[in-house]
Amino acid sequence: MGLNIDNLWVINVAGIEIWITETIFYTWIIMLFLIVIAIIVRIMLRNFKEVPTGIQNLIEAAVESFDNFAINSLGEKLTYISPWFFMVFAFILSSSLFSVFGIRAPTADFATTFALALATFVIMIFIGFKHRKGDYLKSFFSPHPIFFPLNLIGELAKPISLSFRLFGNMLYGTIILTLYYALTPLFVQIGIPALLHAFFDVVFGVLQTYIFVILSLMYVRSAAE
Amino acid sequence: MLSRIVLLAQEVPDGRVFALDTQTLISIGIQLLNGIILAVALTFILYRPVKEFMNKRTERFQSKVKEAEAAMARANELMAEYNSKLEAIERDRDKILEEARLKAADESRIILEEARREAYEIKKRSLESVEEDKRRLKEETRSYVVDLASRIAQKYIAERMDAETQDRLFEEVVARLEDAKWQN
Repeated sequence: MGLNIDNLWVINVAGIEIWITETIFYTWIIMLFLIVIAIIVRIMLRNFKEVPTGIQNLIEAAVESFDNFAINSLGEKLTYISPWFFMVFAFILSSSLFSVFGIRAPTADFATTFALALATFVIMIFIGFKHRKGDYLKSFFSPHPIFFPLNLIGELAKPISLSFRLFGNMLYGTIILTLYYALTPLFVQIGIPALLHAFFDVVFGVLQTYIFVILSLMYVRSAAE
Repeated sequence: MLSRIVLLAQEVPDGRVFALDTQTLISIGIQLLNGIILAVALTFILYRPVKEFMNKRTERFQSKVKEAEAAMARANELMAEYNSKLEAIERDRDKILEEARLKAADESRIILEEARREAYEIKKRSLESVEEDKRRLKEETRSYVVDLASRIAQKYIAERMDAETQDRLFEEVVARLEDAKWQN
């Protein structure tokens, strides 16, 4: 695992060169994994019992916990956008956990984090106009029209800060682990990296997932109120 | 597949950690599209069906809870109805008992009155009978005494007195007997 995000393929679509990076490739692998898990759960759902047991407990707990988390953060009236954030949560968490297996986390690429943050920004604007209509636009000129540039920068800064926060946090784990593998002798590369991976990929991964999602939900809620 | 990737990687530009260029924009677009595809897939395959399952189960449980609450309310109503009926029965019983007690008391009083009256009548009749017997005995005694005295006097007079003295003495004895009180 190197520091650079390698390019795996270069394809040409209507004269435009498109680099298929390892981030995109690993994203597809994670997508495939999550979709396969979803399909398995969907098949299992036919045999779900009234009183949950075993794996059913785990699935219901995961969905219900996220649903309650989304309701508490967004409020009842905005829960219709919670499926998007369920995907964000599942994807960022899976990315972090997959890096335990030596895969470069897709979230350690700015393209991924900015794409997710941009989606949050678009949802925020959409929700703001849907729920507050003209008032949302007025809020850019509040408390005085002279504050418009500051308010605009404040809004635009949200996706940028959100994306750079996740990108930086995931990248620094990758950098530290890469340096560790590159600079240490072989005999200390057995056992100890497991702890580093557990710390940077699992603990930080879960923490950064939570931070990214909760901040996104807060931004969306503040746009609606 | 890895060898194919490596072969392709040799023909493609070198990787980088971070850049702000057209390729990054294209990558952002691809990742956004990936995110949308994943969101749609997870929503329709996993999130919504599981939520619908849980919501339906919650609704079923809520309806069962409501049914149980309705049954409990009906049971409470029946219990209240039975209690009120029991109270009414208790009241009726007390009323009947009180009436019976009063009736028995009345009958007892009437019986006692009748008994008392009959006793009085019996006593009265007995006293009258005694009085009658007393009077009759008195009469009989007087006649007997008179007769006895007359015989004694007759005998005495026959022996000692003349007829005039005999009549005077007879009258005196009769008068004394009339004045004497009856002693049982």
